[in-house]
Amino acid sequence: MAELGLKRLTKVYTQAQPPAVDQLDLAINDGEFVALLGPSGCGKSTTLRMVAGLESVTNGEIRVGGKLVNHVHPKDRGVGLAFENYALYPPLKVRENLAFNLKAHGVNGKEIAKRVKEIARTLRIEELLDLKPAVLSSGQKQRVNMARAMVRRPAVLLLDEPLSHLDARLRVELRTEIKRLHAEQRFTTVIVTHDQLEAMALADRIAVMNEGKLQQFDTPLEVFNHPANEFVAGFLGEPPMNIFRAVVDSGQLIIPDTQFSLPLSTFLENRLGPRKEVKLGIRPWGIRISATEAEGSFVGKIAVVENLGDETRVGVRYGEILLMSSIPVTKRYQPGQQVYLSFNDEDLNLFDVSNGARLSDRENERDSDRWENRDVAHLR
Amino acid sequence: MASLQLTGLTKFYGKRRGVENVSLDIPDQEFLTVFGPAGAGKTTTLNLIAGIVTPNQGSVRIGTRVVDSLEPADRNVAMVFESYALYPQLTVYQNMVFPLKSPKHRLPAQEAERRVHHFAGMLKIDHLLNRPIQALSNGQRQRTALGRALVRQPDLFLMDEPLSHLDAKLRHSMRAELKEMRDQLGTTTIYVTHDYLEAMSLGDRVAVINHGQILQLGAPDEVYFRPATVEVAQLFGDPEINIVEAKIQRKHREAIRLQMLGEDWSASVPEDIGRMLDALSSDTIQVGFRPADVEIAADGKTGFHGVVYSFEPLGTKSVLTIDSVGGQRVRALVDGHRTFQVDRRVNFSVSTRALIFFDRDNARYLARSSQTEEEYSHG
Repeated sequence: MAELGLKRLTKVYTQAQPPAVDQLDLAINDGEFVALLGPSGCGKSTTLRMVAGLESVTNGEIRVGGKLVNHVHPKDRGVGLAFENYALYPPLKVRENLAFNLKAHGVNGKEIAKRVKEIARTLRIEELLDLKPAVLSSGQKQRVNMARAMVRRPAVLLLDEPLSHLDARLRVELRTEIKRLHAEQRFTTVIVTHDQLEAMALADRIAVMNEGKLQQFDTPLEVFNHPANEFVAGFLGEPPMNIFRAVVDSGQLIIPDTQFSLPLSTFLENRLGPRKEVKLGIRPWGIRISATEAEGSFVGKIAVVENLGDETRVGVRYGEILLMSSIPVTKRYQPGQQVYLSFNDEDLNLFDVSNGARLSDRENERDSDRWENRDVAHLR
Repeated sequence: MASLQLTGLTKFYGKRRGVENVSLDIPDQEFLTVFGPAGAGKTTTLNLIAGIVTPNQGSVRIGTRVVDSLEPADRNVAMVFESYALYPQLTVYQNMVFPLKSPKHRLPAQEAERRVHHFAGMLKIDHLLNRPIQALSNGQRQRTALGRALVRQPDLFLMDEPLSHLDAKLRHSMRAELKEMRDQLGTTTIYVTHDYLEAMSLGDRVAVINHGQILQLGAPDEVYFRPATVEVAQLFGDPEINIVEAKIQRKHREAIRLQMLGEDWSASVPEDIGRMLDALSSDTIQVGFRPADVEIAADGKTGFHGVVYSFEPLGTKSVLTIDSVGGQRVRALVDGHRTFQVDRRVNFSVSTRALIFFDRDNARYLARSSQTEEEYSHG
């Protein structure tokens, strides 16, 4: 096991196009689990393939355990890669599939048997060892696939969308297993995924990427609660954060086409500075809905009610904006009903209109993790 | 506008069962979601209604017409597929007006134009009418496809996973938007999906289907809170419902003593349920409770005992997987601001009113210990 360092890592396929990966800096600690998260085409898979040695590096450095590996042969880098598609050898039994790379590396038979047994126990595939890949379920194949990457005891384990081909039930199960496995084994692990829940659930830190560039690299809760920019804010969270444009007018922050106008509190002023225009973001569970008016609340009409069992979502329409909120399931509303919306300033995210960057009150924000203190009991 | 009646529909593909003995009565203007996993028989059902597939047995009636001998084109149903099959080089307007130029649905040009504008306005794509499909976002394409189906004013809308290829974020907002439009459609709709959130959100009722058979037909709350079988219970909810075996040790009128998760537990249940459990021939049942109904005891003492197997934060909520004393693994959905260490001991309780009882042998629904709907306040 080792740390993995990427320094100004860049990949250019053709000069005609922007870099697939653009000066990516990541310092991943020994034993850490990091998720590369982003939409398709964001450069996350290219990054992983460069680390694995399957893709040449245009510029920058890859270091495994401090050692520069840019030009080291893939099999000598000490990285183990488990692909999305399994690429197991069909004629070989699971046991032989696991042993294959060890044999190629000249590990002796006794040691191979021992390691295969160990990894099979860890990944709970002991009963599969004498079967051929064709008879395995996709969940079993995925575990064998991971076992094959891990049996070599790589310094860094690389997982490329390992769960995306599985059905929902198996995905949740295997996600738990991977998380547990990491808690036990503490392999330095990098997972590539487009699924924000998977990244949140598994990773110690998440590197959010878009258009080849790193957007934010931080713990899941920090990325979730203090997104560095509008892209990150919109990419994480289900249902997605409500984001809309607002303008400053005579001491108020006004959202055009709605009845919303907020007095400029210290919270807002500290972040707005001299700006006259801003993007406002609020997560669905930051919005409270009531049938009765209260001070500072805004009137609206319910357009959509979604009763989802453990969760109720209510949509209020203002022109083009459908403002979604997540409310306690014990409250029942009807479409067409007039309601009053309210929220705390502290739950608002402000983003610069020109570049989408988060406007923060840096001195206070990071230290005071409001999330720890707020009441989210209804979200059980 | 029309009602829809399916009677004993059966379709085998060789020896493989597509659907068997499917009967459904769908009133005019109902929005019915047909929900099940891949290979359940959802699309076969839809194709049987559309007339694309001929049944081995059974009958389809739309409104007052039995349509079994009618060609698909003569049934006056409109299908909206997962892939929209729009003409990419044509504009939104040209795509929407297209059906109204076909021999079957031809309308005078002025009336056709009026209809396109009417439905484009309803779907909020009237400002896009002159744009080619290529230039549209996924959501806008979705609306165009819906609009093209709407202009024909069909008796019946058939939708086959129209949101399934959208990314997760867009799917949530498109679902809400579709729901908002739903009531304006004014058309009986059969909507096929493998996504339980879509099934619950959109459907007036949900037909849960698997292995070619209808497992349950009911309002969303009904299938969620009173699932007909363990299988139905497991198809709704993420993470999946916890199902554990429990031994009824002693039954009183209002309290039952259950042995489950390796521990003894007194649970108070309504009198009628106590009586029902009393009357069972077996003393073993299956008990279901959803992860959101598991509470981690703050005092660390009361309730069931377990050890944290895994902790997965998801933002506002986290999934906590616990190994119980009895060895069964239990999933809990907990506040996003709480953190738990792996291998730490925890105590947890399950709200009695959240318990769903199933027969041990046939896995059928027996009872739920509360009348959920009554607990809800209005507004």
